[in-house]
Amino acid sequence: MKKQLTAKEGVLITLKYLFMLLCVLVALFPIVWVIMSSFKTNKEILSNGLALPTQFNFNGYRDALQISPILQFFSNSVVITVISTFINVLALAMAGYVFARCRFRLKNALFLLLSASMVIPTTSLLHPVYLVINKIGLTDTKTALILVYAALSMPLSLMIMRSTFQAIPPSLEEAAYVDGAGFCRTFFQIMLPCAKGGLASAGVLAFLNGWNEFTFALVLTSSTSVRTLPLALGYFTSSFSFNYTAMFAAITIAVIPSILVFAIFQEQIVNSLIAGSVKG
Amino acid sequence: MKKNKLWIPVFLAPACILFLLIYAVPLVLVFITSFFDYRLMPNRFTFIGLDNYIQLLTSDPVFAEAFRNTVVWIAIHCTVHVFIGTLLAFILYKKPRGWKFVRVSYMIPNIISQSAIAMIFLNLFNPQYGVINSLLGAVGLESFQHNWLFERATAFPSVTMTWLLFAGYTTTLVLAEALSVDESLIEAARVDGASSFQIDLFIMFPMVKKMIGTTVIMAATYMLQLFSLIYITTGGGPQTATTNLPLMLYQTAMKENNYGYANTIGVFIIIVGMITMVIINKAFKMNESDY
Repeated sequence: MKKQLTAKEGVLITLKYLFMLLCVLVALFPIVWVIMSSFKTNKEILSNGLALPTQFNFNGYRDALQISPILQFFSNSVVITVISTFINVLALAMAGYVFARCRFRLKNALFLLLSASMVIPTTSLLHPVYLVINKIGLTDTKTALILVYAALSMPLSLMIMRSTFQAIPPSLEEAAYVDGAGFCRTFFQIMLPCAKGGLASAGVLAFLNGWNEFTFALVLTSSTSVRTLPLALGYFTSSFSFNYTAMFAAITIAVIPSILVFAIFQEQIVNSLIAGSVKG
Repeated sequence: MKKNKLWIPVFLAPACILFLLIYAVPLVLVFITSFFDYRLMPNRFTFIGLDNYIQLLTSDPVFAEAFRNTVVWIAIHCTVHVFIGTLLAFILYKKPRGWKFVRVSYMIPNIISQSAIAMIFLNLFNPQYGVINSLLGAVGLESFQHNWLFERATAFPSVTMTWLLFAGYTTTLVLAEALSVDESLIEAARVDGASSFQIDLFIMFPMVKKMIGTTVIMAATYMLQLFSLIYITTGGGPQTATTNLPLMLYQTAMKENNYGYANTIGVFIIIVGMITMVIINKAFKMNESDY
Protein backbone atom coordinates (compact mmCIF):
# COMPACT_ATOMS: atom_id res chain seq x y z
CA MET A 1 0.00 0.00 0.00
CA LYS A 2 2.98 2.28 0.49
CA LYS A 3 2.89 4.80 -2.30
CA GLN A 4 5.83 6.72 -3.70
CA LEU A 5 6.51 9.93 -1.82
CA THR A 6 5.96 13.05 -3.86
CA ALA A 7 8.66 15.71 -3.83
CA LYS A 8 6.53 17.90 -1.59
CA GLU A 9 6.06 15.17 0.95
CA GLY A 10 9.76 14.43 0.88
CA VAL A 11 10.58 18.03 1.69
CA LEU A 12 8.03 18.06 4.51
CA ILE A 13 9.48 14.95 6.10
CA THR A 14 12.99 16.32 5.85
CA LEU A 15 11.84 19.56 7.45
CA LYS A 16 10.10 17.63 10.20
CA TYR A 17 13.21 15.67 11.16
CA LEU A 18 15.33 18.77 10.81
CA PHE A 19 13.11 20.58 13.30
CA MET A 20 13.23 17.65 15.72
CA LEU A 21 17.01 17.57 15.43
CA LEU A 22 17.20 21.31 16.00
CA CYS A 23 15.10 21.06 19.17
CA VAL A 24 17.32 18.31 20.55
CA LEU A 25 20.44 20.29 19.70
CA VAL A 26 19.12 23.46 21.32
CA ALA A 27 18.24 21.52 24.47
CA LEU A 28 21.29 19.34 24.84
CA PHE A 29 24.16 21.25 23.27
CA PRO A 30 24.62 23.82 26.07
CA ILE A 31 24.75 21.13 28.73
CA VAL A 32 27.03 18.86 26.73
CA TRP A 33 29.29 21.83 26.08
CA VAL A 34 29.53 22.62 29.79
CA ILE A 35 30.27 19.02 30.77
CA MET A 36 32.85 18.80 28.01
CA SER A 37 34.49 22.06 29.04
CA SER A 38 34.73 20.90 32.65
CA PHE A 39 37.36 18.39 31.51
CA LYS A 40 39.44 20.87 29.55
CA THR A 41 42.29 22.95 30.89
CA ASN A 42 41.97 26.69 31.25
CA LYS A 43 44.25 27.16 28.26
CA GLU A 44 42.21 24.85 26.06
CA ILE A 45 39.03 26.69 26.97
CA LEU A 46 40.52 30.07 26.15
CA SER A 47 42.23 29.06 22.93
CA ASN A 48 39.26 27.29 21.37
CA GLY A 49 35.87 27.18 23.06
CA LEU A 50 34.53 24.56 20.71
CA ALA A 51 37.36 22.01 20.62
CA LEU A 52 37.05 18.67 22.39
CA PRO A 53 39.23 18.15 25.47
CA THR A 54 42.57 16.59 24.58
CA GLN A 55 42.48 14.46 27.71
CA PHE A 56 40.08 13.93 30.55
CA ASN A 57 41.33 15.58 33.68
CA PHE A 58 39.34 16.03 36.83
CA ASN A 59 41.37 18.99 38.10
CA GLY A 60 38.38 21.26 37.60
CA TYR A 61 36.32 19.22 40.02
CA ARG A 62 39.14 19.13 42.55
CA ASP A 63 39.59 22.89 42.27
CA ALA A 64 35.87 23.58 42.46
CA LEU A 65 35.68 21.62 45.71
CA GLN A 66 38.78 23.29 47.10
CA ILE A 67 38.20 26.91 46.18
CA SER A 68 34.54 27.14 47.08
CA PRO A 69 32.47 25.45 49.78
CA ILE A 70 30.44 23.77 47.05
CA LEU A 71 30.12 20.53 49.05
CA GLN A 72 28.64 22.52 51.91
CA PHE A 73 26.16 24.15 49.52
CA PHE A 74 25.38 20.77 48.03
CA SER A 75 24.61 19.21 51.41
CA ASN A 76 22.55 22.28 52.41
CA SER A 77 20.55 21.83 49.24
CA VAL A 78 20.02 18.14 49.96
CA VAL A 79 18.90 18.74 53.56
CA ILE A 80 16.58 21.63 52.70
CA THR A 81 15.04 20.06 49.62
CA VAL A 82 14.51 16.61 51.13
CA ILE A 83 12.87 17.91 54.31
CA SER A 84 10.73 20.48 52.53
CA THR A 85 9.59 17.88 50.01
CA PHE A 86 8.68 15.53 52.85
CA ILE A 87 6.72 18.22 54.69
CA ASN A 88 5.03 19.37 51.50
CA VAL A 89 3.92 15.90 50.48
CA LEU A 90 2.79 14.85 53.95
CA ALA A 91 0.91 18.07 54.71
CA LEU A 92 -0.86 18.09 51.38
CA ALA A 93 -1.56 14.37 51.36
CA MET A 94 -3.38 14.90 54.67
CA ALA A 95 -5.23 17.95 53.38
CA GLY A 96 -5.91 16.34 50.01
CA TYR A 97 -7.36 13.28 51.72
CA VAL A 98 -9.73 15.36 53.81
CA PHE A 99 -10.79 17.35 50.75
CA ALA A 100 -11.36 14.18 48.76
CA ARG A 101 -13.29 12.22 51.41
CA CYS A 102 -14.78 14.29 54.19
CA ARG A 103 -17.65 16.72 54.22
CA PHE A 104 -17.44 19.81 56.35
CA ARG A 105 -18.60 23.38 56.35
CA LEU A 106 -16.77 25.80 54.03
CA LYS A 107 -14.94 22.94 52.36
CA ASN A 108 -15.22 24.33 48.83
CA ALA A 109 -14.33 27.84 49.92
CA LEU A 110 -11.24 26.59 51.72
CA PHE A 111 -10.17 24.49 48.77
CA LEU A 112 -10.61 27.41 46.41
CA LEU A 113 -8.60 29.63 48.73
CA LEU A 114 -5.73 27.17 49.04
CA SER A 115 -5.55 26.52 45.31
CA ALA A 116 -5.85 30.23 44.52
CA SER A 117 -2.27 30.57 45.70
CA MET A 118 -1.42 29.07 42.32
CA VAL A 119 -2.26 32.27 40.47
CA ILE A 120 -0.07 34.54 42.59
CA PRO A 121 3.39 35.15 41.13
CA THR A 122 5.37 34.43 44.29
CA THR A 123 8.15 36.89 43.45
CA SER A 124 5.64 39.64 44.24
CA LEU A 125 5.65 38.44 47.86
CA LEU A 126 9.43 38.59 48.20
CA HIS A 127 9.61 41.27 50.86
CA PRO A 128 6.54 40.32 52.94
CA VAL A 129 7.75 36.72 53.11
CA TYR A 130 11.10 38.07 54.28
CA LEU A 131 9.23 40.08 56.93
CA VAL A 132 7.28 37.07 58.16
CA ILE A 133 10.38 34.90 58.31
CA ASN A 134 12.12 37.69 60.19
CA LYS A 135 9.25 38.06 62.67
CA ILE A 136 9.22 34.38 63.56
CA GLY A 137 12.98 34.53 64.06
CA LEU A 138 14.08 32.30 61.21
CA THR A 139 16.24 34.71 59.20
CA ASP A 140 19.22 32.96 57.67
CA THR A 141 18.22 29.46 58.75
CA LYS A 142 17.58 26.27 56.83
CA THR A 143 14.16 26.09 58.48
CA ALA A 144 13.12 29.28 56.69
CA LEU A 145 13.85 27.83 53.26
CA ILE A 146 12.27 24.53 54.24
CA LEU A 147 9.02 26.31 55.13
CA VAL A 148 9.02 28.48 52.02
CA TYR A 149 9.78 25.61 49.65
CA ALA A 150 7.17 23.39 51.27
CA ALA A 151 4.66 26.18 50.65
CA LEU A 152 5.75 27.10 47.11
CA SER A 153 4.85 23.66 45.76
CA MET A 154 1.62 23.63 47.72
CA PRO A 155 -1.06 24.30 45.08
CA LEU A 156 0.29 21.69 42.71
CA SER A 157 0.67 19.01 45.37
CA LEU A 158 -2.82 19.74 46.68
CA MET A 159 -4.37 19.18 43.24
CA ILE A 160 -2.38 16.01 42.69
CA MET A 161 -3.12 14.52 46.12
CA ARG A 162 -6.82 15.30 46.08
CA SER A 163 -7.36 13.69 42.70
CA THR A 164 -5.23 10.72 43.74
CA PHE A 165 -7.42 10.04 46.78
CA GLN A 166 -10.59 10.63 44.79
CA ALA A 167 -9.53 7.85 42.45
CA ILE A 168 -9.12 5.30 45.26
CA PRO A 169 -12.33 3.27 45.82
CA PRO A 170 -13.96 4.11 49.20
CA SER A 171 -14.64 0.42 49.87
CA LEU A 172 -11.03 0.09 51.02
CA GLU A 173 -11.49 2.46 53.92
CA GLU A 174 -14.89 1.11 54.80
CA ALA A 175 -13.32 -2.30 55.26
CA ALA A 176 -10.71 -0.75 57.55
CA TYR A 177 -13.37 1.03 59.61
CA VAL A 178 -15.37 -2.17 59.94
CA ASP A 179 -12.22 -3.78 61.29
CA GLY A 180 -12.14 -1.05 63.92
CA ALA A 181 -9.27 1.09 62.63
CA GLY A 182 -9.48 4.79 63.46
CA PHE A 183 -9.37 7.73 61.07
CA CYS A 184 -5.68 8.37 61.57
CA ARG A 185 -4.63 4.76 61.31
CA THR A 186 -6.74 4.22 58.21
CA PHE A 187 -5.04 7.16 56.56
CA PHE A 188 -1.46 6.22 57.38
CA GLN A 189 -1.71 2.45 57.03
CA ILE A 190 -4.29 1.96 54.29
CA MET A 191 -4.65 5.13 52.24
CA LEU A 192 -1.08 6.44 52.03
CA PRO A 193 0.32 3.20 50.61
CA CYS A 194 -2.48 3.22 48.02
CA ALA A 195 -1.58 6.74 46.97
CA LYS A 196 2.07 6.00 46.17
CA GLY A 197 1.75 7.18 42.57
CA GLY A 198 0.37 10.56 43.55
CA LEU A 199 2.89 10.93 46.36
CA ALA A 200 5.71 10.32 43.90
CA SER A 201 4.32 12.79 41.36
CA ALA A 202 3.85 15.52 43.95
CA GLY A 203 7.18 14.73 45.59
CA VAL A 204 9.28 14.81 42.43
CA LEU A 205 7.95 18.17 41.39
CA ALA A 206 8.33 19.62 44.88
CA PHE A 207 11.87 18.29 44.95
CA LEU A 208 12.83 19.86 41.63
CA ASN A 209 11.16 23.16 42.56
CA GLY A 210 13.10 23.30 45.80
CA TRP A 211 16.38 22.09 44.35
CA ASN A 212 16.30 24.74 41.63
CA GLU A 213 14.83 27.68 43.58
CA PHE A 214 16.97 30.80 43.58
CA THR A 215 15.11 34.00 44.45
CA PHE A 216 13.93 33.22 47.99
CA ALA A 217 17.22 31.54 48.82
CA LEU A 218 19.00 34.73 47.80
CA VAL A 219 16.80 36.95 49.93
CA LEU A 220 16.29 34.79 53.01
CA THR A 221 19.82 33.50 53.59
CA SER A 222 23.27 34.98 53.81
CA SER A 223 25.72 32.57 55.43
CA THR A 224 27.57 29.72 53.79
CA SER A 225 26.24 27.19 56.26
CA VAL A 226 22.70 27.80 55.00
CA ARG A 227 22.90 28.79 51.33
CA THR A 228 21.98 26.41 48.55
CA LEU A 229 23.61 25.18 45.36
CA PRO A 230 21.87 27.51 42.87
CA LEU A 231 23.30 30.45 44.82
CA ALA A 232 26.75 28.90 44.85
CA LEU A 233 26.77 29.15 41.07
CA GLY A 234 26.14 32.88 41.29
CA TYR A 235 29.35 33.26 43.29
CA PHE A 236 31.31 31.73 40.47
CA THR A 237 30.93 34.77 38.26
CA SER A 238 33.23 36.69 40.56
CA SER A 239 35.35 34.35 42.64
CA PHE A 240 36.13 31.95 39.82
CA SER A 241 36.72 34.45 37.10
CA PHE A 242 40.11 32.97 36.23
CA ASN A 243 39.51 29.28 36.77
CA TYR A 244 37.04 28.43 34.04
CA THR A 245 37.54 24.70 34.36
CA ALA A 246 36.46 24.81 37.99
CA MET A 247 33.45 26.92 37.10
CA PHE A 248 32.32 24.45 34.44
CA ALA A 249 32.86 21.63 36.92
CA ALA A 250 30.69 23.42 39.47
CA ILE A 251 27.88 23.90 36.94
CA THR A 252 28.10 20.21 36.11
CA ILE A 253 27.87 19.30 39.80
CA ALA A 254 24.73 21.45 40.13
CA VAL A 255 23.04 20.10 37.03
CA ILE A 256 23.63 16.35 37.37
CA PRO A 257 21.24 15.66 40.32
CA SER A 258 18.33 17.29 38.50
CA ILE A 259 19.00 15.28 35.37
CA LEU A 260 19.28 12.07 37.41
CA VAL A 261 16.02 12.71 39.24
CA PHE A 262 14.38 13.47 35.92
CA ALA A 263 15.77 10.34 34.29
CA ILE A 264 14.43 8.17 37.10
CA PHE A 265 11.05 9.85 37.56
CA GLN A 266 10.21 10.95 33.99
CA GLU A 267 6.79 9.36 34.09
CA GLN A 268 5.80 11.01 37.40
CA ILE A 269 7.05 14.39 36.25
CA VAL A 270 4.92 14.27 33.12
CA ASN A 271 1.93 13.10 35.18
CA SER A 272 2.29 15.82 37.75
CA LEU A 273 2.69 18.46 35.05
CA ILE A 274 -0.56 17.33 33.51
CA ALA A 275 -2.28 17.22 36.89
CA GLY A 276 -1.02 20.70 37.69
CA SER A 277 -2.13 22.17 34.39
CA VAL A 278 -5.80 21.32 34.88
CA LYS A 279 -6.65 24.69 36.28
CA GLY A 280 -8.12 26.70 33.40
CA MET B 1 -17.41 8.65 59.99
CA LYS B 2 -19.10 11.14 62.33
CA LYS B 3 -16.79 10.48 65.24
CA ASN B 4 -13.83 11.35 63.05
CA LYS B 5 -14.88 14.99 62.62
CA LEU B 6 -12.23 15.87 65.17
CA TRP B 7 -9.48 14.74 62.89
CA ILE B 8 -10.47 17.03 60.02
CA PRO B 9 -8.94 20.23 61.46
CA VAL B 10 -5.86 18.30 62.53
CA PHE B 11 -5.35 17.03 59.00
CA LEU B 12 -5.92 20.46 57.49
CA ALA B 13 -3.75 22.34 59.96
CA PRO B 14 -0.27 21.84 58.42
CA ALA B 15 -1.39 22.93 54.94
CA CYS B 16 -3.29 25.90 56.37
CA ILE B 17 -0.32 27.03 58.47
CA LEU B 18 1.94 26.94 55.41
CA PHE B 19 -0.68 28.83 53.44
CA LEU B 20 -1.07 31.49 56.11
CA LEU B 21 2.66 32.03 56.63
CA ILE B 22 3.83 32.11 53.04
CA TYR B 23 0.75 33.25 51.08
CA ALA B 24 -2.05 34.82 53.08
CA VAL B 25 -0.16 37.03 55.54
CA PRO B 26 2.39 38.20 52.92
CA LEU B 27 -0.43 38.93 50.50
CA VAL B 28 -2.15 41.17 53.05
CA LEU B 29 1.18 42.78 53.94
CA VAL B 30 2.07 43.51 50.33
CA PHE B 31 -1.19 45.40 49.82
CA ILE B 32 -1.10 47.31 53.10
CA THR B 33 2.53 48.37 52.94
CA SER B 34 2.12 49.60 49.37
CA PHE B 35 0.23 52.55 50.88
CA PHE B 36 3.09 53.44 53.22
CA ASP B 37 6.38 55.25 53.01
CA TYR B 38 8.19 52.33 54.53
CA ARG B 39 11.97 52.15 54.50
CA LEU B 40 14.88 51.13 56.62
CA MET B 41 17.26 54.05 56.28
CA PRO B 42 15.99 56.52 57.37
CA ASN B 43 13.67 54.34 59.39
CA ARG B 44 10.18 55.36 58.34
CA PHE B 45 6.67 53.97 58.33
CA THR B 46 4.07 56.58 57.46
CA PHE B 47 0.80 56.32 55.59
CA ILE B 48 1.00 58.12 52.26
CA GLY B 49 -2.08 56.85 50.48
CA LEU B 50 -1.60 56.39 46.76
CA ASP B 51 1.70 58.29 46.52
CA ASN B 52 3.74 55.16 45.75
CA TYR B 53 1.37 54.27 42.94
CA ILE B 54 1.39 57.78 41.53
CA GLN B 55 5.17 58.00 41.60
CA LEU B 56 5.50 54.57 40.02
CA LEU B 57 3.13 55.34 37.19
CA THR B 58 4.01 58.93 36.43
CA SER B 59 7.62 59.65 37.28
CA ASP B 60 9.73 56.54 37.43
CA PRO B 61 11.65 55.84 34.21
CA VAL B 62 13.07 52.60 35.64
CA PHE B 63 9.59 51.28 36.29
CA ALA B 64 8.48 52.32 32.80
CA GLU B 65 11.31 50.35 31.26
CA ALA B 66 10.91 47.35 33.59
CA PHE B 67 7.18 47.30 32.91
CA ARG B 68 7.68 47.55 29.16
CA ASN B 69 10.33 44.81 29.19
CA THR B 70 8.08 42.53 31.23
CA VAL B 71 5.13 43.03 28.90
CA VAL B 72 7.27 42.53 25.78
CA TRP B 73 8.72 39.36 27.28
CA ILE B 74 5.28 38.05 28.18
CA ALA B 75 4.11 38.72 24.61
CA ILE B 76 7.15 37.06 23.03
CA HIS B 77 6.99 34.11 25.40
CA CYS B 78 3.26 33.52 24.95
CA THR B 79 3.63 33.49 21.15
CA VAL B 80 7.07 32.37 19.96
CA HIS B 81 7.85 30.04 22.86
CA VAL B 82 4.44 28.40 22.90
CA PHE B 83 4.44 28.16 19.09
CA ILE B 84 7.76 26.29 19.06
CA GLY B 85 6.58 23.90 21.77
CA THR B 86 3.23 23.30 20.11
CA LEU B 87 4.79 22.76 16.68
CA LEU B 88 7.08 20.12 18.14
CA ALA B 89 4.13 18.46 19.90
CA PHE B 90 2.21 18.34 16.60
CA ILE B 91 5.16 16.62 14.97
CA LEU B 92 5.71 14.18 17.82
CA TYR B 93 2.11 13.00 18.29
CA LYS B 94 2.32 11.10 15.00
CA LYS B 95 5.11 9.16 16.68
CA PRO B 96 7.89 9.55 14.12
CA ARG B 97 11.09 7.63 14.72
CA GLY B 98 12.84 8.85 17.88
CA TRP B 99 9.88 10.86 19.22
CA LYS B 100 10.34 9.66 22.79
CA PHE B 101 13.99 10.64 22.78
CA VAL B 102 13.13 14.09 21.46
CA ARG B 103 10.44 14.56 24.12
CA VAL B 104 12.75 13.60 26.96
CA SER B 105 15.79 15.55 25.82
CA TYR B 106 13.75 18.66 25.10
CA MET B 107 12.55 18.65 28.72
CA ILE B 108 16.04 18.68 30.24
CA PRO B 109 16.66 22.45 30.12
CA ASN B 110 13.35 22.90 31.95
CA ILE B 111 14.22 20.66 34.88
CA ILE B 112 17.70 21.93 35.66
CA SER B 113 18.03 25.06 37.74
CA GLN B 114 17.67 28.44 36.09
CA SER B 115 20.86 29.58 37.73
CA ALA B 116 22.74 26.77 35.99
CA ILE B 117 21.16 27.77 32.67
CA ALA B 118 22.11 31.36 33.38
CA MET B 119 25.72 30.35 34.08
CA ILE B 120 25.78 28.25 30.92
CA PHE B 121 24.60 31.16 28.79
CA LEU B 122 26.98 33.54 30.48
CA ASN B 123 29.67 31.29 29.07
CA LEU B 124 28.06 30.58 25.70
CA PHE B 125 27.86 34.33 25.12
CA ASN B 126 31.30 35.02 26.55
CA PRO B 127 33.14 37.31 24.13
CA GLN B 128 36.46 35.51 24.66
CA TYR B 129 35.81 31.78 24.53
CA GLY B 130 32.02 31.56 24.14
CA VAL B 131 30.47 29.32 21.53
CA ILE B 132 28.61 32.05 19.66
CA ASN B 133 31.69 34.14 18.97
CA SER B 134 33.81 31.05 18.29
CA LEU B 135 31.32 29.95 15.65
CA LEU B 136 31.17 33.40 14.09
CA GLY B 137 34.96 33.51 14.07
CA ALA B 138 35.19 30.07 12.50
CA VAL B 139 33.07 31.08 9.52
CA GLY B 140 34.84 34.40 9.11
CA LEU B 141 32.16 36.70 10.47
CA GLU B 142 34.33 38.42 13.06
CA SER B 143 32.51 41.68 12.43
CA PHE B 144 29.35 40.16 13.91
CA GLN B 145 31.04 39.20 17.17
CA HIS B 146 29.69 41.02 20.18
CA ASN B 147 29.93 41.10 23.92
CA TRP B 148 26.41 39.79 23.66
CA LEU B 149 25.05 40.18 27.17
CA PHE B 150 26.72 43.46 27.98
CA GLU B 151 26.21 45.67 24.94
CA ARG B 152 23.10 47.76 24.90
CA ALA B 153 22.02 46.68 21.42
CA THR B 154 22.39 42.93 21.98
CA ALA B 155 21.65 42.47 25.70
CA PHE B 156 17.88 42.24 25.41
CA PRO B 157 17.68 39.68 22.59
CA SER B 158 20.61 37.72 24.08
CA VAL B 159 19.07 37.39 27.53
CA THR B 160 15.77 36.44 25.88
CA MET B 161 17.53 33.45 24.31
CA THR B 162 18.23 32.02 27.76
CA TRP B 163 14.59 30.94 28.06
CA LEU B 164 12.80 31.45 24.75
CA LEU B 165 13.68 28.19 23.00
CA PHE B 166 13.24 25.82 25.92
CA ALA B 167 9.58 24.94 25.46
CA GLY B 168 9.74 21.45 26.96
CA TYR B 169 6.77 21.96 29.27
CA THR B 170 4.59 23.17 26.40
CA THR B 171 5.60 20.26 24.21
CA THR B 172 5.04 17.71 26.97
CA LEU B 173 1.60 19.03 27.91
CA VAL B 174 0.24 19.55 24.39
CA LEU B 175 1.67 16.21 23.34
CA ALA B 176 -0.01 14.42 26.25
CA GLU B 177 -3.31 16.02 25.31
CA ALA B 178 -2.88 15.14 21.61
CA LEU B 179 -2.03 11.54 22.42
CA SER B 180 -5.22 11.22 24.46
CA VAL B 181 -7.41 12.17 21.46
CA ASP B 182 -9.48 9.25 20.20
CA GLU B 183 -7.63 7.79 17.22
CA SER B 184 -10.79 6.68 15.44
CA LEU B 185 -11.59 10.36 14.94
CA ILE B 186 -8.39 10.91 13.01
CA GLU B 187 -8.81 7.63 11.17
CA ALA B 188 -12.30 8.68 10.06
CA ALA B 189 -10.99 11.99 8.74
CA ARG B 190 -8.23 10.22 6.87
CA VAL B 191 -10.72 7.84 5.26
CA ASP B 192 -12.70 10.88 4.18
CA GLY B 193 -9.60 12.08 2.36
CA ALA B 194 -8.33 14.79 4.71
CA SER B 195 -4.64 15.56 4.34
CA SER B 196 -2.40 15.32 7.38
CA PHE B 197 -2.20 19.11 7.45
CA GLN B 198 -6.00 19.39 7.42
CA ILE B 199 -6.24 16.85 10.24
CA ASP B 200 -3.78 18.88 12.31
CA LEU B 201 -5.59 22.13 11.66
CA PHE B 202 -9.25 21.15 11.80
CA ILE B 203 -9.31 18.20 14.18
CA MET B 204 -6.23 18.16 16.35
CA PHE B 205 -5.91 21.88 16.95
CA PRO B 206 -9.46 22.39 18.31
CA MET B 207 -9.02 19.31 20.51
CA VAL B 208 -5.86 20.60 22.17
CA LYS B 209 -6.74 24.29 22.13
CA LYS B 210 -7.52 24.44 25.83
CA MET B 211 -4.24 22.82 26.73
CA ILE B 212 -2.43 25.34 24.54
CA GLY B 213 -4.29 28.04 26.47
CA THR B 214 -3.03 26.52 29.72
CA THR B 215 0.54 26.55 28.46
CA VAL B 216 0.12 30.21 27.42
CA ILE B 217 -0.94 31.00 30.99
CA MET B 218 2.05 29.05 32.31
CA ALA B 219 4.30 30.99 29.93
CA ALA B 220 2.93 34.32 31.13
CA THR B 221 3.25 33.37 34.81
CA TYR B 222 6.79 32.18 34.16
CA MET B 223 7.71 35.59 32.77
CA LEU B 224 6.27 37.30 35.87
CA GLN B 225 8.49 35.13 38.09
CA LEU B 226 11.58 35.46 35.97
CA PHE B 227 14.49 36.45 38.14
CA SER B 228 17.65 34.36 38.31
CA LEU B 229 18.17 34.11 34.55
CA ILE B 230 18.46 37.89 34.37
CA TYR B 231 20.07 38.45 37.77
CA ILE B 232 22.98 36.14 37.00
CA THR B 233 23.53 36.99 33.33
CA THR B 234 23.05 40.74 32.85
CA GLY B 235 21.93 41.85 36.31
CA GLY B 236 19.31 43.92 34.54
CA GLY B 237 21.82 46.00 32.62
CA PRO B 238 23.34 47.64 30.73
CA GLN B 239 21.69 50.40 32.77
CA THR B 240 18.13 49.07 32.88
CA ALA B 241 17.93 47.56 29.40
CA THR B 242 17.09 44.07 30.69
CA THR B 243 15.41 44.90 34.01
CA ASN B 244 12.00 43.35 34.57
CA LEU B 245 9.49 43.85 37.37
CA PRO B 246 10.76 41.09 39.72
CA LEU B 247 14.32 42.33 39.33
CA MET B 248 13.28 45.91 40.04
CA LEU B 249 11.30 44.73 43.06
CA TYR B 250 14.35 42.88 44.37
CA GLN B 251 16.62 45.88 43.91
CA THR B 252 14.15 48.29 45.47
CA ALA B 253 13.52 46.07 48.47
CA MET B 254 16.89 44.49 49.15
CA LYS B 255 19.38 47.05 47.84
CA GLU B 256 17.60 50.35 48.50
CA ASN B 257 15.54 49.03 51.44
CA ASN B 258 12.59 51.01 50.12
CA TYR B 259 10.01 48.44 51.15
CA GLY B 260 6.76 50.32 50.59
CA TYR B 261 7.75 51.17 47.05
CA ALA B 262 8.97 47.63 46.37
CA ASN B 263 5.66 46.21 47.53
CA THR B 264 3.80 48.59 45.25
CA ILE B 265 5.72 46.90 42.42
CA GLY B 266 4.63 43.59 43.98
CA VAL B 267 0.98 44.65 43.78
CA PHE B 268 1.59 45.55 40.13
CA ILE B 269 3.01 42.12 39.39
CA ILE B 270 -0.09 40.54 40.91
CA ILE B 271 -2.39 42.84 38.90
CA VAL B 272 -0.50 42.23 35.64
CA GLY B 273 -0.81 38.50 36.37
CA MET B 274 -4.56 38.73 36.88
CA ILE B 275 -5.10 40.83 33.75
CA THR B 276 -3.01 38.50 31.57
CA MET B 277 -4.89 35.53 32.90
CA VAL B 278 -8.28 37.06 32.11
CA ILE B 279 -7.14 37.99 28.59
CA ILE B 280 -5.77 34.53 27.88
CA ASN B 281 -8.86 32.86 29.30
CA LYS B 282 -11.02 35.00 27.02
CA ALA B 283 -8.81 34.38 23.98
CA PHE B 284 -8.90 30.63 24.38
CA LYS B 285 -12.48 30.51 25.67
CA MET B 286 -11.19 28.30 28.45
CA ASN B 287 -14.33 28.46 30.54
CA GLU B 288 -16.64 27.19 27.84
CA SER B 289 -17.14 23.48 27.73
CA ASP B 290 -17.91 23.08 24.07
CA TYR B 291 -17.00 19.43 23.64
